Order: sequence, then structure tokens, then C-alpha cells
Amino acid sequence: MSNILTVLIFFPLIAAIFGFMVNQKSIRVYGITVAAAEFLLSLWLWASFDSTNPGMQFVEQLSLIPQFGISYYLGVDGISLFIVIMSTLMTLIGIIALSVKDDIKNMIITLLFLEVAMIGVFVSLDVILFYVFWEFSLVPMLYVIGAWGGNLRLYASIKFFIYTFAGSLVMLIGMLYMAFIYHSTTGVWSFSLTDWYSLILPFDVQKYLFLAFFLGFAIKVPMFPFHTWLPYAHGQAPTVGSVILAAVLLKMGTYGFVRFSLPLFPDASVAYILPVGIIAVIMIIYTAMIAYAQKDIKQVIAYSSISHMGVIVLGTFAMNTEGIAGSVFLMLSHGIVSGALFLLVGVIYDRKHTKIMSEFGGLAKSMPNFAVVFGVMTMAAVGLPLTIGFIGEYLSLAGFFKVSPTLTVLGGTSIILGAAYMLKALKNTFFGPITNPENENLPDLDAKELTALIPLVAIVIWLGIYPKPVLGPIDTTTKALVQMMHNKAQTKEAKATILVSKPKKEAK
Amino acid sequence: MEAINIDFAALNLITLSPMLITLLGALVILCIDLIKSDLDKTLYVTLTILTLFVAIGATLSLNINERGLFNTILIDGVSILGQLLILAGSMLFIPLALTKRKFHDFSYPEYFALFLFMVFGFQFMAASDNLILIFVGLETASLALYTLIAMHNTKLAHEAAIKYFTMGALAAGFFAMGAAAIYGVTGSVEMDSIVKVFQSKMSEPSIMVPIIGGALLMIVAIGFKVSLIPFHMWTPDVYEGASASMAGYMSIVPKIAMMVVAMRLFGMYMELDIEIVRYTIIALAIITTTLANLMALVQNDVKRMLAYSSISHAGFVLVAIALDTTKGYSSLFMYYSLFMFTNLGAFAMLWVSRHKYNVHHDRFHHPYEKFAGMIKKAPVSAVIMAIFMLSLAGVPPFSLFWGKLYVLSAVVDSGYYAVAIILALNSAVAVYYYLKLIIYMFLKPEDLSQGNVVYANRSLALEMVIGLAALATIASIFYVDPLMQFITDLVGASGY
Repeated sequence: MSNILTVLIFFPLIAAIFGFMVNQKSIRVYGITVAAAEFLLSLWLWASFDSTNPGMQFVEQLSLIPQFGISYYLGVDGISLFIVIMSTLMTLIGIIALSVKDDIKNMIITLLFLEVAMIGVFVSLDVILFYVFWEFSLVPMLYVIGAWGGNLRLYASIKFFIYTFAGSLVMLIGMLYMAFIYHSTTGVWSFSLTDWYSLILPFDVQKYLFLAFFLGFAIKVPMFPFHTWLPYAHGQAPTVGSVILAAVLLKMGTYGFVRFSLPLFPDASVAYILPVGIIAVIMIIYTAMIAYAQKDIKQVIAYSSISHMGVIVLGTFAMNTEGIAGSVFLMLSHGIVSGALFLLVGVIYDRKHTKIMSEFGGLAKSMPNFAVVFGVMTMAAVGLPLTIGFIGEYLSLAGFFKVSPTLTVLGGTSIILGAAYMLKALKNTFFGPITNPENENLPDLDAKELTALIPLVAIVIWLGIYPKPVLGPIDTTTKALVQMMHNKAQTKEAKATILVSKPKKEAK
Repeated sequence: MEAINIDFAALNLITLSPMLITLLGALVILCIDLIKSDLDKTLYVTLTILTLFVAIGATLSLNINERGLFNTILIDGVSILGQLLILAGSMLFIPLALTKRKFHDFSYPEYFALFLFMVFGFQFMAASDNLILIFVGLETASLALYTLIAMHNTKLAHEAAIKYFTMGALAAGFFAMGAAAIYGVTGSVEMDSIVKVFQSKMSEPSIMVPIIGGALLMIVAIGFKVSLIPFHMWTPDVYEGASASMAGYMSIVPKIAMMVVAMRLFGMYMELDIEIVRYTIIALAIITTTLANLMALVQNDVKRMLAYSSISHAGFVLVAIALDTTKGYSSLFMYYSLFMFTNLGAFAMLWVSRHKYNVHHDRFHHPYEKFAGMIKKAPVSAVIMAIFMLSLAGVPPFSLFWGKLYVLSAVVDSGYYAVAIILALNSAVAVYYYLKLIIYMFLKPEDLSQGNVVYANRSLALEMVIGLAALATIASIFYVDPLMQFITDLVGASGY
């Protein structure tokens, strides 16, 4: 099937539109069926993916606005493949675990629309198409936070929307400028990313373009100092909103770095390694410290999420195979782990309607299964070896070590600090005596929650022990990417940085 | 004895993808029913539509002129067109399950699974040129269809299902015997090798008997399924017994599937220049159109009238098969793609006006009197119904006019002027009974004794289907040309 990507994008869209016909009472089954079909379809994509081919596969191209070079251009490579699979998986899990009571129909239809946007972002190779899906993803999320959120939901959703929208508008200007440069160099209009890859820009043009794109992506990641929208969004969003937000939407930013910033502007990227690295390290340490001080368990996870995103950025800007492959892998592991942690917080919130840690304590006694799953996910978040969290974090830091050992050491504190705040949260919630008598008879995980969580636990352990099936294709594509950046780089410094960190040995 | 060597490349699963999707959809519905019982029918309707939609997408992305399933599946332009019409017709039909009144049929999820199994069977019929596979598809579809009719669960529906089952079994028997006769002569069930064997044996003296015998058996079998006179006896009763929506569906989709089979089969005979088959078909077509029209004149029930009218339409299109020209075959598909909207719309109008018990007549649900003065009670419905009737009568600019135009022009192009004149005169006869309904709706006084029951079964889904059908009927002038282009390209690509 050559047009599987089109099917992946439009199947949830059609299903969402038809979803309006389904009765409220049966919509959950409908949502699960559609999301499961979509997930199986994405697994099929993986099965028919050629992991030895580093280039774009399943490419589809169709001219939309020929005068302006805009086309419907899709493709998937080792980097985007697994993010697509993770998006479909997390949507499925999110719908299975959905605990929203009112307006569940609108919620499920919204989630399906969101899935369209997420997959569209990760498989678009035309920049305008990418931008369309990028912006489209804001609307369903706005609705999810605004309609099902907590008390401050309107503030949180508007803040989320305006922040990301502002950033992406700057990025849009950058895209238009880039297209203009392409036009003036080659004489034709094109928004195709692969065409843009072949263009070598002068250094000072690269600098400005890099900054324009960087702003758009950095807000989405979110990087310090633009991170303030995220704790609000997480704090107010319903469980499923947080899951999708943390697992997939944040990855759009880091995916943008890998897909756009690095290959389009290699010289500028190298020139900005130091500032970006410093921001990333600030982000890691600063938000980790905030996380330690939180009383609300969801906020702990929200800030830890930002902290880990810092490691991903660090790995990406290592500009070498280990770093980039590691950061892509970390995107996946962070998606799975933080998604699972938000689900777990949702579980306890559904029972107690509070997220304040001091209300809990000794839950391991009343909810043993819950405690075990939470423990596994905490370990993975901390980056314990043999869990999925370790591999990405290790590779990212190892990659950045070649660029700057000092910053890497500082960034490496993320593991220690992470252990500190996560274990503190774990201890306060699950161990010690049961201080609050209400907690003695809390029901343990039910069938629905177990169905959602067990696959995630399995993935955390499977990929922690044997990451090769995922890391292999990522590595193949990353190598080709680094090679291309090396060939494109003009300044001596950039050539050296990208070359030095291009060892022949396997990344893993 | 040689070891059988199976090459899995010959499986070429992609050619099966539209059918497999339908099948999967049916199985998913069964599984959901297994896991959770108290689900709403809207869920199943939506899943069915979604499945059909995806299957349409898969059909559109097939490569033309490929073979699969060990050379038994033939994906040519005709099979793509056939499958598209089958899927589109099914998609138009299934929202009609979302009625306001509760009916027995739709309370079972199995209804929707069976429906998809039936579509699966029809798709097989359209996509294969292997007599055995066609037979399997035919039986899969027919058995499911009998059950679907019976699930309406009225006395008349049971009668209809049994009647249809008996007749259908007889037809299937004829089909099997015809296939056996052909196999006896040629030693093959694949149409392309059958043609070759026939050609090489044409000079043999006694060959004509089994060839023509096989053809006649096949004509009987197909005649039953497409309801040609004199094999039509079951049709009005079955339509009357089945729910109005199901009757509308039966007048379109099963016939399209069978027409594709007829095209392939009789196309083979035309290629061999066996003129008697051609003349038999033309004769059957003329008899069917004329007699069905005459019988429709005297009906008291609109549904029975529409049943006879659809028999007459089937006869009308059948001529196109006897022509054996690209234009003829294209006009057949053109006719059915336009007829689909109009006729299903007309039956859906009856479905909207369906009430639980017979109010107006002892036996019939939809006697003409029921629609008397409808223009006062429900002006929009009356106008839409009138448009469907005018379209069925072939009044320009409504859609079926273009269908008739293409068929007649194909007939004239092939030089059968007399046939064209007979068909044209028949259309003039048909106007009478279509106009009769319009006269009842617009000019007769309202029957005040029965209260307002016209809208008894109305719901948003039904209105949308009718609206879509009406739109397709009215706005046909804007899409006829590209549609014809699309159809001609596909038909031409498959060498017909």
C-alpha cells in the first residue's frame, strides 16, 4: 500500500466526522475501535518500513498550489516513524483510560481530530502542510483544556494558545523568507523540505532564520524562559489532555529542531550550540528544583517533563549521531513515561479529587498494583538502567559530552535531581503510614486502567532491555542526517564540530 | 504426480484489500457485539459507513488490470467501477437504519455484520472472472440478503424472505448448471481460458449445443437475480414484504453486481459472435421493459409500482449489455450510478412515511391514497418525491434523463433503431404511473380522516440521505460529463 500515510492522516478525520452520528452512550467503543484500527495501521507502517533505508519512505507528492510551490508531500523516515507510532498508541491509551463523564462524545471526536493533526505534523514534508497541521493541533487542544479543565481552564487554554501561536507566527515568517530565498536562488517556488535541504545558505542569513524557527520550536518544547504556559496547561488539563500534551505535542518542538533547524541551518546551529546548551542546562536544573518544591503531584510531573525536555534539546544540539539518535529515542521514552505518569495521576485524582501529595501517604497498602506501576514509571522517569528512560538519556548526554563536558556534567545532574524529586513524590504518596483514613479503602486499578497501563509498562521494560528494533532505524536515518549536515556545513568550525562527532562505531 | 507449487506473489493481497476491509469491518462489529452488548445502533451504523468509506478509498487506489488470489480476482476498470457503485450504494443505504421508529431489524448488531458480509459477496462477484468464485460471492451475498429481509420480522417479510430464498436457490442451481455445462466443454472455470477453448473448438459440429445451452442456463440464473421477465415473479412480493429501504437497496446493488457478471459472461459470447445470445438478451430486455411497464400501470401501492418500475429499468439497461460496445457498457454504469440516487431516494421517501400499522389500506403500507394532498401537509417532501418521480420518468434536466440519453444513444450507435424506438416509447408509457403519484400528491384533495402520518418515521439521518439523493438528482447536469468521462476511461481501460 503506497498511500498508507494518507490513510493514516485521513482515517481518523473521516472517523471523527462520522463520529457525530454515534450515540453518546456508545461513543467510547467507537473511539477505541477507530483508535485501535489507526494504531494497527501504524504498526503495519512499521512492518513494511525498510529500516536499512535512511531516506524518506512511502513518499506521496501531489501539487496543491503549483504557482507557489505548495504541495501535498508526505514521507516518513526513521526519525518520524516511531513518533507517529507513539502518537497513535498514546491516543488509543488515552481513549481507553478516558474518565471524563460529561460530553464524552465531543471529547472523543476532539481527540480523533487531534490525532489527525499530530500525525500530519510528523509526516508532512511540505513546510506549509507542516505548518497547517502544526497550527491545527492547537485548536483541539484548546478545546480539551478549555472544556474539561480545572478552575483556571480558560486562562490556561488561552495562555497555551497564545504562546504557541505567537511562536509559530514568527516561524511562519521564517518559512516565507526561506521560500523567498529559495525562489531567488533557483528561480522556482518550493516549500518542499527536501528541496530546501539542498540549498546552502550564507551564514548570516542562517543566523536569522535559525532564530525565527528556534522561537517557534522552543516555545513548543517548551524551553526556558518560555516554559511558563506548560505548568498551567498541565495543571488545568484533564488527564487525557495532559497525556497527549506531554507525550506528543511537546515532541513537535524537538522534532522540529531535528527536522528543520539542524539540517537547514547547520552552521548557525553549530554557532548557537553554546547558548542553546546553556539554556537547556538552566531548564534542566531550574525546573528540577521547582519540581522538588511542588506540593501538587501533577505539577511535579509537569516540571519533570520540562526538565527532561532539556536533556532532549541537549542531545539534539550535540550535532552527532549518538546525541541526535539518543534525543529521538528520549522523545519516545519521555512520551511513554510521562504519558503513563499523567495517567497514573489521573487515576488517583478520579478517586480522591485532589492532587496534593500531603493528602496521600501509604497508598501502597491500599492500592498495591497502582503502586507497582507508579514505581516502574518513576524508575523509568529517573533513568534507571534497564528501563526505557536510561538509553535515551545516556546517549543524549554521551553525545553532548563530545561538545562540552562541562555542560554535560551540569546536564547530567538531571538524573540526580530527577531521582530526588521523583523518589520524594513516590515516598510521600505511597509509603509510610496511612495518615488519612479516607485512603484506607481506595479501590485499586480497575480493568480499564490496567488495560491502558500494562502495555505501557511492557514497552518501558521491553525497550529498556532491547532497544535495537527502535534504535536501529533511528540510527540509520540519523547517520545520514549528520552526514548531510557535514557536507552542507561551510564554516570551518561547523565542519569540525559535525565531523569530530561522527565516529564510525555503532551508537548502540 | 507433480508437487503443487504455490507462489505467494500470486496471492497479491492488495487486489483483495477492498473486500478484506469490508470483511474485517463485519468481524469487528461481531467482536464488539461479543464484548459489550448494550450498545446503540448508531455505533454500528457509523462503523459500517466508516468501513465502506475506507473500502471505497482502497478501491480507488487499486491498480488497473492486476490479478490476485491466484489469478481468480481480476481488477480491471469494470470491477473497480462495480465495486465503487456497490460500496457507494451501500453507504447511501445504511443511514436509513437510523429511523425514528424502532424496527426489529436494527436492534441486532448482527444486521450490520450480515450487511457487510453481503457487500463482501457482491464485491467478489464484481471483481472475479472465475465462475466458481462468482458463485461463492453470489451465495454469500444472497444468503445474507435473505436473512436481512427476514429480520424485518413482519409476516410479509418472512414470506418475502422465503419466496426470495426459494427463487434464489433455483437461480443458483441454474448458475451452477450453466457453469458445469461450460466447464464440461472447456475444462475451465476461468473466463479468459474458456474463451480460448471455445474459439479453438468453434469448428466442431456439435459444440453449439453445450455452448448455447450453458449460455441459456446462465441467462436464466442472471434473469432471476436481475429480475427479468419472465423470471421476475418474486420481485413485487419481495419488495412489498421487505422494508422500503431494503427494497430500494435490492433494486440497485445486487443488480449492479449481477450486471457486472452478465457483462463479463455475455461479453465472452459476443466476442465469439454467437448472435443468438445477443438476440435473446435484446428480446428479454424488450419484453421486460414493456411488460413491467404495463403491470406497473395497474398497481395500487406505490411500493409495488416502484418494484415494477425497477424491473422495467433493469430491462432498459440490459440492452446495453447486448451491444458489446464501450459506450454501451459505460452507459450501463452511468445509468446505474444515476438510478442509484433517484431510486433509493424514492424508496427512502416511502421509508420516511412508514408507520407501524397499515392506516390507509388493508394490505398495503403505501397506497396512492396515502399521498393525496401531500402538497398541503408536507410541501417539501411532496416536491422532492415529485422530483424523484420525474427523474425516474426520464424528464430532463433530472439525472435519469442523462442515463436514458446515453443508453439510447449507445443503442442507436450500434444500429438497433427499432430497439431504440421501442425503449423510447416504453419511457412514454412509464410516465403515466409516475405522473399518477404526482397527481395524487398535488391535485387530489387531502384525505383528512387519517391524520398526519406522512412523516411518521422521519429522522435527521433519513432527511440527509434523501437530501443527498435529491441533490444528486437535481444537480446532475453539473457532474454528468466528468462522471461519464471517468466511467468511460475505466471501462475502456479494461478492454470492453
